Amino acid sequence: MNTLHLYIRSMGMLLKSQLQYTSSFIMQTLAQLVMEGGEMLAVILVIDRFETLKQWIGGNLFFFFGLMSVSFYITEFFGRGVTGNFPSMVRSGQLDTLLLRPRGVLTQVLCSGMDPRRISCIAVGVVALVMGSSMSDVSWSVLKVLALLESVAMSCMLILGLFMIEDIFCIHSVKSVELVNALTYGGRSACQYPIDIYPRPLKILFSVVAPFALTMHVPASYILGKPLYGWPVWTAFVTPLSGALVLAVMIMLFYRGMRFYRSTGS
Amino acid sequence: MRAYISVFKMRLKMETQYRGAMLGGIICQMFFGIVLVALYRALFDSKAQTIPIEQVTTYVWLQQAFFRMMVATDMDLWDKVKTGNISYDLCRPVDMYWFYYIRISAQKLMGSLMRGIPMMIVAFLLPKGWGMVLPTSFAGLLSCILALVIGLLCMCALENITMGFTMRTLDAKGMQGLLNLLMVTFSGNLLPLTLFPDSWQKVITMLPYAQLLDAPIRLYTGEYPVSGAPLIFLRQAVWAVILILLGVWFWRANRKKMIVQGG
Repeated sequence: MNTLHLYIRSMGMLLKSQLQYTSSFIMQTLAQLVMEGGEMLAVILVIDRFETLKQWIGGNLFFFFGLMSVSFYITEFFGRGVTGNFPSMVRSGQLDTLLLRPRGVLTQVLCSGMDPRRISCIAVGVVALVMGSSMSDVSWSVLKVLALLESVAMSCMLILGLFMIEDIFCIHSVKSVELVNALTYGGRSACQYPIDIYPRPLKILFSVVAPFALTMHVPASYILGKPLYGWPVWTAFVTPLSGALVLAVMIMLFYRGMRFYRSTGS
Repeated sequence: MRAYISVFKMRLKMETQYRGAMLGGIICQMFFGIVLVALYRALFDSKAQTIPIEQVTTYVWLQQAFFRMMVATDMDLWDKVKTGNISYDLCRPVDMYWFYYIRISAQKLMGSLMRGIPMMIVAFLLPKGWGMVLPTSFAGLLSCILALVIGLLCMCALENITMGFTMRTLDAKGMQGLLNLLMVTFSGNLLPLTLFPDSWQKVITMLPYAQLLDAPIRLYTGEYPVSGAPLIFLRQAVWAVILILLGVWFWRANRKKMIVQGG
């Protein structure tokens, strides 16, 4: 509980410090809004030209897009330490100071950064979700709301876990490895559309290696009333747990990697 | 003039240095390309289009291959503005605008060639309907290459305008984000311009952003016939001149108001 308290305190402080530069903050938040709006524009134009994508109608596609934006940017909002700051901490030797303090390294890394500008991206995602669910005539029930919440929470864990791969590599090689972007940002681009439109190798990649399909598409397709592969309802609640699994494995690997950490000495 | 040529040569060489990082970049870019092609193939399966799928896949691959041309920026200049070292540049016996114009053009040219050529080779080897197809005619290929060169001139001019905003406000992340977004959207990287609504296309293809990669790619795929190429070159060249003039004027205005950071 102490850790959680510490995290909330740090987030509060970071938020205050970021809001000090009001005009810069507003400008950057607007830029983010336009950026995510541009992504959504692409989806709108695609739907305008093609109308349907296999079995999915336009509204369904908005729902998938919204789910991805919300999860991805909540992760970037609260987990900036892991998703962005870590490589430079290793390079500059700043990580050494974290090792001296009586708290877990990962906790401190998480406490070190947040990115409140992402709020506008999350807003775009929420708009897409609402639009998508009303266009697809979703009849909401308690169970479906739970499925959505679980899906977002687990997807955040998954994305955090995937970003940690880069950090783990970084502990060993100092330089950040661009290749991992294929899983994180590539996963975002690919999985804002439902998984079943892709050929088998991509399906396997995003169901087994980076299970976006399990944390997002299975529950989302249940909510939309078009179960993926005709799977039963309980899968919509069980498969997203793979997100927590990925995160757990990555945390383990992270601490294992930290044992081999050698400071850059600067 | 000799000074500019040697700057150009030096930057070309520098850009060839980081080959390890480049390989990662290529693989990443290829992956994005494959995801996009898979998506468009699925979309084409759902609703047949007048444009053949090969044209779209070729479009995607050429966009991915020359992506570096769009995103490469001069980090040195960025740092110089932030640290105040830009004052040294003000003392150089060369025009600052052209000095950086040459630098960025060498960087963008070499960066995109080194990434683009291996990517295009792989894209040709992909199975039919997934990879790139040959240009419709040899003349089409030649006109595409010429259009790419003029496109590069436009791109560097745009880049310098963005840099102008950095000089003006020091932290131009917001402005830069907006300009980059315009570029990514209206140059056809986010979604091929050929898939935009037809009524929009009439306007977007006139914008400067379409002159960067969209016009060369359309010459390559034969969407623009070779007979119409001179007109395309003219349109590109007019934009290049306008953008360069705008940039020169902007940098000159900045020069007068420049605040050099102490430190």
